[in-house]
Amino acid sequence: MKNYFQNIWQSITTLLIGLGITIKHMFKARKGNVTLQYPEEKWPRPERNIGFDPKNYNIIRSKLHVDIDDCIGCRKCERACPVGCIKIDALKVPKETDLGLTSSGTTKRLLISRFDIDMTECMFCNLCTYPCPEDCIFMTGGPNSEKQPLDYEYSQYDRSRLIFKFANVTKNDIRRITTAPPVQQEIL
Amino acid sequence: MGLVHAEEMTLNIGPQHPSTHGVLRLKVKTDGEIISEITPVIGYLHRCFEKHCENLSYEQVIPFTDRCDYIAAMNNSFGYVLAVEKLMDIQVPERVEYIRVIMAEYNRIASHLLALGTFGLDVGAYTPFLYMFRDRERILDLFEITCGARLLYNYMWVGGVSHDLPLGFMEASYRFLDEFEKNINEYHNILSYNKIFIERSADVGIMPKDVAIDYGVTGPNLRGSGVKWDLRKDEPYSIYNRFKFDVPVGTGIMGSVGDCWDRYWVRAEEMQESIKIIRQALDKIPREGNVHEALPKKVRPPKGSIYFRTESPRGDLGYYIISDGTPTPLRVKMRSPAFTALSALSEIATGWMLSDVLVILGSLDIVLGEIDR
Amino acid sequence: MTIDNIIQWFQSWFPVNVMVLFITSVLIAAVVIFAIMAVNALVAVYAERKISAFMQDRVGPMGQGPGLHAGKWGLLQTIADTIKLILKEDIIPKAADKKLFIIAPFIIFLGAFIALAAMPFGPYLIASDMNIGIFYILAVSSFGVIGIILAAWSSDNKWSLYGGMRSAAQIISYEIPAALSLVSVLLLTSTLSMQGIIQSQAGTVWGFLPNWNIFNNPFSFLAFFIYFIAGVAETNRTPFDIPEAESELVAGFHTEYSGMRWAFFFLSEYGNMLVVCGLTVVAFLGGWQSPIAGVMEGAWWGLFWFLTKLTATIFIMIWFRWTFPRLRVDQLMNVAWKILLPIALFNLFGVAIWTLLVG
Repeated sequence: MKNYFQNIWQSITTLLIGLGITIKHMFKARKGNVTLQYPEEKWPRPERNIGFDPKNYNIIRSKLHVDIDDCIGCRKCERACPVGCIKIDALKVPKETDLGLTSSGTTKRLLISRFDIDMTECMFCNLCTYPCPEDCIFMTGGPNSEKQPLDYEYSQYDRSRLIFKFANVTKNDIRRITTAPPVQQEIL
Repeated sequence: MGLVHAEEMTLNIGPQHPSTHGVLRLKVKTDGEIISEITPVIGYLHRCFEKHCENLSYEQVIPFTDRCDYIAAMNNSFGYVLAVEKLMDIQVPERVEYIRVIMAEYNRIASHLLALGTFGLDVGAYTPFLYMFRDRERILDLFEITCGARLLYNYMWVGGVSHDLPLGFMEASYRFLDEFEKNINEYHNILSYNKIFIERSADVGIMPKDVAIDYGVTGPNLRGSGVKWDLRKDEPYSIYNRFKFDVPVGTGIMGSVGDCWDRYWVRAEEMQESIKIIRQALDKIPREGNVHEALPKKVRPPKGSIYFRTESPRGDLGYYIISDGTPTPLRVKMRSPAFTALSALSEIATGWMLSDVLVILGSLDIVLGEIDR
Repeated sequence: MTIDNIIQWFQSWFPVNVMVLFITSVLIAAVVIFAIMAVNALVAVYAERKISAFMQDRVGPMGQGPGLHAGKWGLLQTIADTIKLILKEDIIPKAADKKLFIIAPFIIFLGAFIALAAMPFGPYLIASDMNIGIFYILAVSSFGVIGIILAAWSSDNKWSLYGGMRSAAQIISYEIPAALSLVSVLLLTSTLSMQGIIQSQAGTVWGFLPNWNIFNNPFSFLAFFIYFIAGVAETNRTPFDIPEAESELVAGFHTEYSGMRWAFFFLSEYGNMLVVCGLTVVAFLGGWQSPIAGVMEGAWWGLFWFLTKLTATIFIMIWFRWTFPRLRVDQLMNVAWKILLPIALFNLFGVAIWTLLVG
């Protein structure tokens, strides 16, 4: 009998405590709120309740971007990718052909005829960005954020539009550069 | 009455069901509400993790270990990385060790928060789940400023971590821990001590000590049955021997030892212990140091094999790695704690009601990504 | 405005056949009651979503409404939901018993709908003030369970079947404590008419409290809680929502329903809430009586007070739902038969003694 009433009493008190907590939350709902109203409010906003500044981010993982002018075609990123979403074709060019320098001063020796990144396959592990000797492949908003505007929103209606093609050489260019005089071809 | 023909009904719980915690299928035989037989059917989330590993280099495996137990990705890659380091005999810098412990413990809290929240959801309490999710969100924020990712981090590397702690991480950590400690009390008030919750979980799905040991159940599930076994304490890896913390075990306060409430309670207490560890680590961490110092030029372990186990939020997580001296492992085998926990389900949940079976399943805290791999 | 009033009023202007008048006035009353139910569902769904959101540190629906996205509060959310539900495909499973499947939601709806006919919204606002009003409501409000069982059985789904069986057991069990605690009120009021019950609660008691049944004596105070708990169980809401227990039975008896038929389940759930809360207000909280005797009384004030009390009780139901875990089936029966029923019986005895000795 004592147990019976004890049980009822316990139920009532513990349930009332629970009710108290929910009502307390209801009246200060705005305070503990972590909801982000997505299209209006976007993620790196400094006043988020932990109080982080986007500047304090070590890195932001987002869309991969390649500064193709700096790429020397070493294919290190292609090899580093665990899922193989980076596809590079680099063509050998005659020795005399001047492809220019990268921003850090390295001479470019290969013509990048294809540099495709399939973002539908990418798993955002960030492994491709570290081996790059020229720092030319990076996730936008990352350490090179000043080079590229921060952009998370790259949803598309068509899957093929998520395959980003970075190579900027035309077929004509390829033909012009690679078909050099036969003598030089032999030297190569 | 001879005309009445009674038979057992076969019920298919899952693979699409709100509380199977993933794509698990339970084939149950029911006699009214009572469950007389349970057969878990797994494999809906099989992604060939172990076969993948045989074709990838050692560093490239790390993102895939994250994807096994996606609730506690840090702990999973932590175990793998430690195994490879041991195989290669790498000493990592002090700072890296501390960072790793901090991250692993944070992820343990995040994982337990999810486990407790979804357990509440299985019992029918919706609100605590969202409170816990809110706090988990803050931990994920900490991870995000550190490495840019919120769920699958690829943060632990062989010989280091991918990024040093960002500016303001310490302050944010202390702030979070202070607030979180207060919130734990609130969770206890709204969920743990709630009479309905106790009625639903105490004395339900009792896993006796011997059953737990026979099935090889580890982690909070084993400790809920009253066995004091924690690899962080009993076989300290990394720098866990430098911290003071307790190993909470189930004592059967509300019911009997090894019931669902005990398993729940052990997780709740472990969050407190994790907070202790994080506080000590934050106090002791060397302020300076290069986290990339000990990164090997090329991860190419010598010929040999290793089995290394760590305490993930779900239990003993073991990696067995065979190296043939090439940059790709010959074989990687993962010992999944959630798998063993699930194997004990049919033993402990038979004879309970349909609602209880789902509560027991929730109390085991399985992650299907790790079971199916 | 009872139906009788409308008939008389019409007759004084257009002296036509009584039967025609009767049918027209019943239709008018039906439309009004349906409107009340629809508006109630619209408001209550929105309120439930917002309140639950605030209780859970979320913001709730923000998309639809004046000010549009993330502007102001998503006021038009339920209307958008309704439009969506109307436009949705109405799926009838191949294996379902088609006739029963189609008719079931309307039977459930009917239970709540006809119960509202005897609900006094104000001193004069009642469709039919019959002299057995409370008895009538008790009788027809358990009509809905037939619909639930039909829906569960005809869906040919194991989850639905579970939900239906649970629901039948639950509603039948909880009728008893609910009825017993209402009987203890009837001892105090000595009438079965809804208006009569309210009128008997006029004045003050203990000097300052309104003479509502809840304050009348300690036993009826307890009876209020018993009735309210049993009422929550009858409406299948948390912590007694086992017929549709989301995490166990997917969606319980309405697993296979979609579109407008599903919306009818929803409408009748909120309609049932209205009936249960209305009955609570009438039987224990003085119906449309003002809380301070003699102040702010009259037809419109009556409506205001009734709606205020109704809102408060519905809010408590919503509050329960977003705080408590769910009971198990056998525990549910325990609560009904081992806790509520003995206390209700004891209460009935206590009220009887009280009326004998005090009033």
